[in-house]
Amino acid sequence: MAKNGKHGRRWIALSIVLLLLVGLVGYVLWSRLLREQPLHYEAAMDQFKYGSIGTEKDGLRVPFWIWLVLPRIFPEYLPGPGGYVSLGFAWEEGHELPIGLTKKVIGQPMVGINCALCHTATVRKDKYTKPDIYPTAPAHQFDTQGYFRFLFACASDPRFNADNILGAIAPNYDMGFIDRLLYRYILIPQTRKGLLDFKKEMSWMDDRPDWGRGRIDPFNPAKFRYLGIPVDDTIGNADNMSVWNMRPKVENGYHYHWDGLLDGPLQEVVLSSALGDSVTPDTLPLDDLKRIQDFLMDAPVPPYPYTIDQQLASAGEVVFQANCADCHAIGGARTGSVIPIDEIGTDPHRMDSWTEASVAAYNSYADEYPWSFTHFQKNEGYNATLLDGIWLRGPYLHNGSVPTLTDMLEPPANRPSVFWRGYDVYDQEKVGFVSQGEDAERYGWKLDISVPGNSNSGHLYGTDLSAEDKQALVEYLKTL
Amino acid sequence: MNDEIARDSGSAGSQHKGWRRALIAIAIVLVLFAAYLVRRFTRNEPVVYDNIVEHYKYGSLGSEGFSPPYWVFKALPVMFPEYLPGKGYQSLGFVYEEGHDLPIGFSRRRLNGLDGVGLNCAFCHTGTVRDTPTSKPRIYVGMPAHQFDIEGYFKFLFACALDQRFTPDQMIPVMESLGADFDPIDRALYRYVVINQVRLGLLQARDRLSALILNPEVPPWGLGRVDTFNPYKALQLNYPMHEIPVNELIGPADFPQIWNQAPREGLYLHWDGNNNSVDERNLGAALGTGATPTSLDYASLDRIDKWLREFPPPKYPYPIDQALADKGEVIYHAQCSSCHDFDGKYIGTVIPLEKIGTDPYRLHNYTYDLTVNQATLYAGMPWRFTHWRKSDGYACQALDGIWARAPYLHNGSVPTLRALLELPENRPAVFYRGYDVYDQENVGFVSNVPEADGRKYFRMDRTVPGNDNGGHLYGTDLSPEEKDALIEYMKTL
Repeated sequence: MAKNGKHGRRWIALSIVLLLLVGLVGYVLWSRLLREQPLHYEAAMDQFKYGSIGTEKDGLRVPFWIWLVLPRIFPEYLPGPGGYVSLGFAWEEGHELPIGLTKKVIGQPMVGINCALCHTATVRKDKYTKPDIYPTAPAHQFDTQGYFRFLFACASDPRFNADNILGAIAPNYDMGFIDRLLYRYILIPQTRKGLLDFKKEMSWMDDRPDWGRGRIDPFNPAKFRYLGIPVDDTIGNADNMSVWNMRPKVENGYHYHWDGLLDGPLQEVVLSSALGDSVTPDTLPLDDLKRIQDFLMDAPVPPYPYTIDQQLASAGEVVFQANCADCHAIGGARTGSVIPIDEIGTDPHRMDSWTEASVAAYNSYADEYPWSFTHFQKNEGYNATLLDGIWLRGPYLHNGSVPTLTDMLEPPANRPSVFWRGYDVYDQEKVGFVSQGEDAERYGWKLDISVPGNSNSGHLYGTDLSAEDKQALVEYLKTL
Repeated sequence: MNDEIARDSGSAGSQHKGWRRALIAIAIVLVLFAAYLVRRFTRNEPVVYDNIVEHYKYGSLGSEGFSPPYWVFKALPVMFPEYLPGKGYQSLGFVYEEGHDLPIGFSRRRLNGLDGVGLNCAFCHTGTVRDTPTSKPRIYVGMPAHQFDIEGYFKFLFACALDQRFTPDQMIPVMESLGADFDPIDRALYRYVVINQVRLGLLQARDRLSALILNPEVPPWGLGRVDTFNPYKALQLNYPMHEIPVNELIGPADFPQIWNQAPREGLYLHWDGNNNSVDERNLGAALGTGATPTSLDYASLDRIDKWLREFPPPKYPYPIDQALADKGEVIYHAQCSSCHDFDGKYIGTVIPLEKIGTDPYRLHNYTYDLTVNQATLYAGMPWRFTHWRKSDGYACQALDGIWARAPYLHNGSVPTLRALLELPENRPAVFYRGYDVYDQENVGFVSNVPEADGRKYFRMDRTVPGNDNGGHLYGTDLSPEEKDALIEYMKTL
């Protein structure tokens, strides 16, 4: 009798100790791997540049300490010296991360991406002057595909292991015994697997032409990764776009995206873009995204920062009104509407990459959510966009196949057949970015118009104007 | 079990107990030995100095992980004298004091079971001055190490590491002949781990720095100069240095003085005015000694930081014609003080390159990409760098102790104050730097001696990229009498 009581008490004591231990371990794991800390920026501009849109949980997310040391362990997978800067990130002095990358604590500090990644431009007056940074402008200099491929290459390399990564972190930061264990046994293997999974999901990128600096394939990732469309061979390569000054586009009912595949509301554009960045419908931070949407409504158009010959520009305004305003000015009969492909004559690949099946899929994608999409459409042509801030939106045409405004006013046969894009020194002569020469070749990406998706044909408007008229018109376009 | 033992009484039982006791004794000895080993290998104890000046010269910043251990450091000049420019480390311009067996700038710390050697601020910021070619050198702390061949030191270490004789078999006897008293654990450690690790570490550093200091297209830095920021690209950030265009790999700059830091708070520091925080300047330089954010001895650095804030510049050690200096003061206030006085309007601000007109290489090799990457250094700590910025010219420096800061301009391309007041075409096209005999006539160091006392001095040729002596034309149009007066006044700063 006495023996049983003693054993019983022992078991109870043991169970209590075990439960406490399990509870302690569980708490530690939760707080160091799962506990989410809010990330809020007072200023809407900071929210745009550094705020989270919810990408820190899936896809490309990388724990901050791993992200930090990857360029130091694998510099050979970057396009050149400079660490992440070599990929064309816009990075403000004194900031720990470039614009477009977020640092959100979910247990550990995690790095995700946000809108500003593809929508922030750098511009330099000359080779030695430091860049000016323009949030909401097209990230013409940023190599999105290069960033993905850098992370994929690191993850695929057998040196992506705990010894090397913790070894690189150790001289810089003492993360403590528990975190080192968590990194070794959970975070590093998990990150590796996540990146390799993402690499597999994006393997279709490797059998079609590269996106190049300043360009992405905006909708094939959505089609193949979560819309359930079987991988096809379409090439959707298109320039990153500006996201400023949304108000007139909203108020005038303009179409969005190069092929006008959405005609509103702005919320569908914003939310579908976030989904395209690997946020899942369940984790869309609707309030934060609404904040960004509101910010974009009135985000100002940056003025041309170099000299403008005002007299010449006034003469150019007359030319613009006569030849361009119909499609490109507020009040124009066709502004913000889709111009049929037979008329516009530009490269059809981007248009073809967006299919009727894609429309059906996206319009029914999130039916059970209150914000579900209904406005996706298939058009056979390209959108005539408002030319606000056009000085900062080169190269030109949806596929960025024409480097400068001066080149746009030449017939396609006279436009450059090979040039380099992504170099951020400005060409004040021809209006666009410097696209030839030793430096452009070193820092830029080579665009060859003979590669599928890169044709610079079409948009012949203005190519038959007189030389004086062309000069005046280009001068006027600087003022938009 | 208990029953069996209870049955086995007598001799068999006591034999069993004997074994148990022996086992326990062995276990205790093993545990004690393990504890001893743990203590031996986890001790982290610098040699400390109460006197702040001694601490500055020989104290440890926690950079011992980057330098060869003490006995290796001692053995290298004995085993590989041919890789030094002359006899011993002295030939590199290291400064030795009576009673110290390591030169100024070197610290000692017991780390990882070894006697380690580290670098500190004094390594680059201690200068010598001699009154005549036969005088003993006077040592000034905080002064630019104008006589020091830092590139020569790295090249020496790297040449040793490449040499096939850098092996435990060859090195251990030399170390012991120099006085190393190794116990069996030390000897095993050096034989099986340390010497090979040190060699590997040096070869890795050689690889990272080769584009800078073993590159025939990159001119030598020369005595008293260093390419301040390119090494960070190579060592801390591991840029693929060989992909950097050659022009960006050129741009050495004079070691500066680091005294009197308090009035410099808020001024844009470094030759190109890239940081206006004295703390960040000091923390950045600490990384330059080989300390890392986790190895840095913050308390030690803090001691030096506090002292440097108030440590005054040295007074000019030769006679000054006070009447002439007073005349010069008027000229100074008219022509120079707005840029160079602590209350001057432009002090610590950057004069754009086109305006100042001095050599552009140093400015251009501090690149924007480096600037923003530096904001990741000390990540996770409250003192993470936030002040680095890319400027477009060179900063107006205060002239405290200017007599001791020759040669002049950021790249040390003008030997004396008198030469600086000449138009560039009249400044010496070629001169020699690193000689520490003082030139009282022209104010600066004697610069026409190519070789003396077995030491070769560095030939500065202004046509070599990075060495241009143009720009800073201020004062070049003063009359000879005015220049005399101005120079006399500047001796008093």
